[in-house]
This record gives sequence, structure tokens and C-alpha cells, in this order.
Amino acid sequence: MAHWIACCLVAVTGVLLTFGALVTTYEAAMAVPDWPGTYGHNMFLFPFAEWFYGPWDLFLEHGHRLLGASVGVISLVLAAVAWKTRQSPAVRWLVVAAVFLVVLQGLLGGLRVLLDDKTVAKIHACTGPLFFSVAVATATLTSRRFQTRSSKEGEVHGGMAIGSWLATGLMFASYMQLVAGAQLRHLDPAIGPNAFRWLVAFHLVGAATVAVLSLAAVGESFGLLPSVYTRGSGRRLLSSTILFFVCMQVLLGFAAWVVSWGLPLGLLPDSIASRVPETSTVVVARSGLSSLIVTGHVVLGMMILGASVVLCILSGGLPNAAGASFVSRQRVIA
Amino acid sequence: MNNVIACRSVTSTLVRTKTSNVLAVLCGICIPFLAAGCGQTPAASFRLNLVESSKQRLTSSQEQQVATILTALFGTPDEPLAPPEIGLDGAKLKLAAGPVRSDIVGRKNGLYREHCAHCHGVTGDGMGPTAAFLNPYPRDYRPGVFKFKSTERADKPTHDDLVMVLRNGLAGSSMPSFALLSDAKIEALAEYVKYLSIRGEVELALMRAYFELDDEDQGVLPQSREFLFEEIIDPVSEMWAVADDAVIDVPDMPSGLDMVASIAKGKELFYGNKANCVKCHGVSGLGDGQANDYDDWNKVVFQAHKTVEGAAEQAGKASTWEMSAEERDEYRGELAWLDRFETVLDGNALRPRTIRPRNLRQGVYRGGMRPLDLYYRIHAGINGAPMPAAKGTVPPEEIWDIVNYIRSLPYDFNGTLGADRPMVARDRM
Repeated sequence: MAHWIACCLVAVTGVLLTFGALVTTYEAAMAVPDWPGTYGHNMFLFPFAEWFYGPWDLFLEHGHRLLGASVGVISLVLAAVAWKTRQSPAVRWLVVAAVFLVVLQGLLGGLRVLLDDKTVAKIHACTGPLFFSVAVATATLTSRRFQTRSSKEGEVHGGMAIGSWLATGLMFASYMQLVAGAQLRHLDPAIGPNAFRWLVAFHLVGAATVAVLSLAAVGESFGLLPSVYTRGSGRRLLSSTILFFVCMQVLLGFAAWVVSWGLPLGLLPDSIASRVPETSTVVVARSGLSSLIVTGHVVLGMMILGASVVLCILSGGLPNAAGASFVSRQRVIA
Repeated sequence: MNNVIACRSVTSTLVRTKTSNVLAVLCGICIPFLAAGCGQTPAASFRLNLVESSKQRLTSSQEQQVATILTALFGTPDEPLAPPEIGLDGAKLKLAAGPVRSDIVGRKNGLYREHCAHCHGVTGDGMGPTAAFLNPYPRDYRPGVFKFKSTERADKPTHDDLVMVLRNGLAGSSMPSFALLSDAKIEALAEYVKYLSIRGEVELALMRAYFELDDEDQGVLPQSREFLFEEIIDPVSEMWAVADDAVIDVPDMPSGLDMVASIAKGKELFYGNKANCVKCHGVSGLGDGQANDYDDWNKVVFQAHKTVEGAAEQAGKASTWEMSAEERDEYRGELAWLDRFETVLDGNALRPRTIRPRNLRQGVYRGGMRPLDLYYRIHAGINGAPMPAAKGTVPPEEIWDIVNYIRSLPYDFNGTLGADRPMVARDRM
């Protein structure tokens, strides 16, 4: 039961984050100037037709709020069920964290609107992936397959093997990439080119780190690196999927840059930049394709983070080293 | 006993491991929030043209006076003002200015910050966050110079010229097309570009006006309306007001024109002394002629760097031992100015880049690919760029010949690569 609710939470959060990414892409955050209401209505009583058939910005922003509220309700239900079904302490801590984060995220979203502040928007964009990670971790830890495996192995390792370190590093690096991306997407036009250069450099170094770690994780899961863990097909498939996502993400990132700001010829020496062939084609701002690419880059980043959270747990990463017990009491009794 | 100690040691190691891991998680979570910044984003403000003020050696109180006058006249990025004498549409400015927000029927404000400011900057100084990554750099509106227009070289662009650039974008640059925006939005953006440009020109005029002050003014600009409007604002706004009447009168291409003969004539003019296009665009038309020049925007920064380097060299040669106390004070003042100018250039200007003449064999023309657009470019030259005006030296019918020749170049084999093979894409680069 808890697992299915957690899976539902992950799915709805995925849609919520996609809506959030679209809100940023279309700069629709201020389409509704009040909070927690919507144009003076109770958020849930805002006329459906006015929302659904209304302006695109309003559709996105109000839809984002409704999805946020749904995620909040699902988190509360999950917390209640986790307690009732006597899930493991780790799971219970996670659902508490989920409830805390979803409330915090709601407040941050409200503050972002009421203050119309980019800094709050950036923090809001950093908390979203954090909540998503918690939801994914909860869904993984409550799965029957994982519980069966854990109860069989009964493993709580004193230290972390190389696979665990890689998966943990990948998880953090993926998250930091979303953080750096949030800084780039909620760009304050008042910052100068020098500050932006540092942000881009940070994002590029992060991309390289994620690429190297995902490649190493594939190597480790296929037995190319020494590992104390059973090299199950699950971890192989997962790490390969992450690597595939990362490759796609690099391409999407470049495309997102091009549709946002054109070719980054300023990175090349003038002598080379002047030799790059020009075309008569110009980017069309706010086209469906450009919005899809830019938003897709964020959503794929989120998927990489989610997959690396699962890999981290399967590899006995950080939570395992911290001594967390994953097996629910019900299963222990059984 | 030994076992107990060993057990305690293992336990403490485990606890330390767990604690450090939990701390690592907490740090990982906290760093982004620190990175996002703790303070509220400050309200958007216009940046002063510090390169010009340093060049003019303005004092901080003079800079403050310029900023105060500009705010009184033009307001802030969130609340723009337009004196009626300038003739800008306040409603359009309101639509384009301010932070991005939309109302219940989907009307969006803050268009400039949504679509333009990340490259052109809030001030329109071409120093937006992304500027350094773009080649060519985004336009700095403040000198009021625009390249692609239908008016004579020294004239301002018409409103329609700005609208056309916004609608079509600029091929071969990072300027996108805003064709998906409504006409009202594009009109509003064009009006706001004019507003930023007029504001920037007034700023430059104010800074330069300090040079012409009398001793009795004591380094303070007069605050009178006569001074501000008659000497500073009116000369700028009048140029913009007459732009729509200054459109180049383009004669029709001669009817029954023999295109082959026209292209041959155009080629002759291209390589001849009369038009002398070959000097910059090169014998092959690949844009490989003269390539060491700068456009006006980069030239300002290049010359500022030269000034600083030259002054630093002079200062380095000076010997303070041989100076009187007065000269030494002057010398220290010079050093302080140099130091400040250098800092200003680092933070407020991009590295100057030379301008490369257009490669005419690629068929990519930033200002538009219609024959009419090419006629404008050849007739009036390109303001702000080394491209000179042919007006006065080349009669209109011959300009059409050059247009026809240029339009044939992407399909032309220039005969220098060997007659046995056609020109390939690589040769055109």
C-alpha cells in the first residue's frame, strides 16, 4: 500500500515539476498575483473553465498550484500509511521529510509570488528536486523487491564500497546540476557577464562530473571496477539508463543553449569563430520546439536525479552507511 | 577489558562515520540555498555609463548628478518616464518595462526583461549576463547607433526598421526572431528600445557637457529646463522624430535590365576603385580583405584600453623625486584615475573584438536578404561599422548592379580555384 502511494507521489511530483519547469520557461510565475488564493478565489474553487480554457500562463501557474496541493495531500496520506503499516525508521523519516519539504515548498512558492523575488524562485527551484529525491527514495525503499532483498541480505555495511561512493557522488552531482541549472534559468538580468560566466563554468564542470560518474557507475555495475556488491541486472540496467540519459542530456543542454541564446561562438577564439559557417536560419523565440527543448532539459535532469537516487539505494550508498534500517517491522515480523 | 576498549573504538568510529555522512547530506542540501543567495533580489536599476564617465574624468558627485537627472527625466526600469517632448508612447513603454507579469486575460508586462535583457542588459548597454558568450556582441543601444535601417547612415532607424529586426531576427547572429509575438508586443519592444537609446544618448550628452562648463559653474551642470531640453534632450529626440521622413528614396531597378550585363557591371564596380568593395570583402568575396578594424562600440573600448595603457606607461616613466608637491598630488590623482578606469573596463566592458567583413559567398546578410535591403546597405553604408556609404560616388543604377553581383556571388564560381571543379561549401568559408 505504502509503496503504491509512494509511486503515485513520484508520478504526480514528476508532472508537478514539469509544470514548474514550464512556468519558468514561459516566465508565467506571476500570472497569478495573489497567494494562496487565485485572483481572489479559493485556489480549489477557481472556475475550471477560466483556468483550463484561459490564457496559457494562467493555465500553467494555476495548474502548478493545484498539482502542488495534490502532492501535499498525497504526502500526508503516505505519512499516515507509513506509520500505520509500521514502515522502517528510514522510510518514516523520509515521509516526515517529504511532508516538511512539501509544506516548505508551498510556502516558498507563495513567497516567490508575493515578493516577486528571483532569489526565492531559485530556492524554490532547488527544493523541488530535493522533494522529488525523497519521494523516489521512499518509493524504492517501500518496494517489495527491495525489502525482500534487504531482509535476505540483512546488510548494513560499516563502510562504503566503490559502487556506493560512485552512486552517492552521482546523486549529489545530479542534484547540484539542477541547482546550477536553476541559477541559469532564473537569471537575474542585472548580473553582469562575469557572474554568468562562473555559473556556466560551474554547470559545465558539473555536467562533466555527472558524465564521468555515470560512466564509472556503468563500469562498476558491469564488474569492470572492484565491488563488494552482487552485480545484479537491475543495477546494470539502471546505470546504463542513467548513462544514456546523461548523453541525451548533454545534447539537450547544447540545444537548449542554442535555442535560448544562439551558438556560443563567444567561447571560441575570434579566428575560429569567424570561420564557423553562418546560415540564414534564425532561432524563433518562444517557439514550441524551443520551449520543449529547454523544458525537456530540466525534466531529463530530474529523471537522472531520480534514477541516481534509486542506484544509490541499490548500491548501498549513503543511507546504508549512515546505518538506516530499511526493512519494515511488518516484514521483520513476517 | 581490551575487548571493551576495542568495541568502544569501533562504535565511536561507526558513530563518527555516520555523523560525517549525515553532515555531508546536510551540507549537500544547504549549499544550493547558499548558492542561491541569501538576500532578496534588489529592484532593477539602470547602470551608469562608467566607461564614458571615467573617460571624461567625472567625479563621483558629478556621476551622482548625472544619475539624478536621468532618473528625474526617464524614471527607473520598473517605472519608466518619457517626457512628452521625446514623443514616446507611455502605454507601450509600460507594457515593455518592469518585471515580468501577466493578468487574468493573459496580457503580459515586462516584455523587455522577458525577451531582451539577458543579452542587451537592463540598461540596454549590451552587457546582459550572456553577452560575453555571443559573437557578435549584443547591441549597446546607448550611443543611439543602429546598423540595419532604411535611412541614411547618420540618421536614426525608423520605427518600422526596429520592428523588422525584431520580427525577422538577424541571420548570422544570436538575435532571434520574435515573429510569434503579437504586433502590439513587438511595437512595445521597439518603443522601449528607442526609450533606452534616447536615455543612453542623453546620458552621454550630459557627461560630455561637463567639458563645456565655465569656471563659474563650479563643475555642476545647470538644472534649468532650458539647458536640459534645448541643449541636451531636443537634439537627440529631434533626430528620432525625423527618422520616419528620412527613408532613403530607392529608385526602381531599371526595367528590362539585362541581368548578365548588370552582374558583369557590378563585378567591375566591386573590384574597381569607384566602389572598391574588394578592399574589405576580399578578392574572393569571402570577407578576407581588411580585417583589423573595429566597429564603433568595440572601438570605444579598444581606445579606452589604449588610453589606460598609454597613461600607465607615462606614469611608469615619471619620477616622483623630481616633482613638486603639487605635481606629486596631480600624479597620485592620475594613478587613482588609471586604477579606477582599469577596474571599470574590467567590469563594465567586454573584450574588444575586430569586425570581420561579410563573407558574401554564404548568402547570409544580417540586415535582410531582399535586394532592397542590400541596396540600403550599399547606398548608406552600415552605421557604426567600417562599411562606407556608396552614396555620392556610385549612382543608383550602378548600386543596383552591385546588388545583382552580390546576389550572384553565392552561386558564382570565382575562377581562382581551378576551372575543373565547382566551388564547394568549404571554399566559401
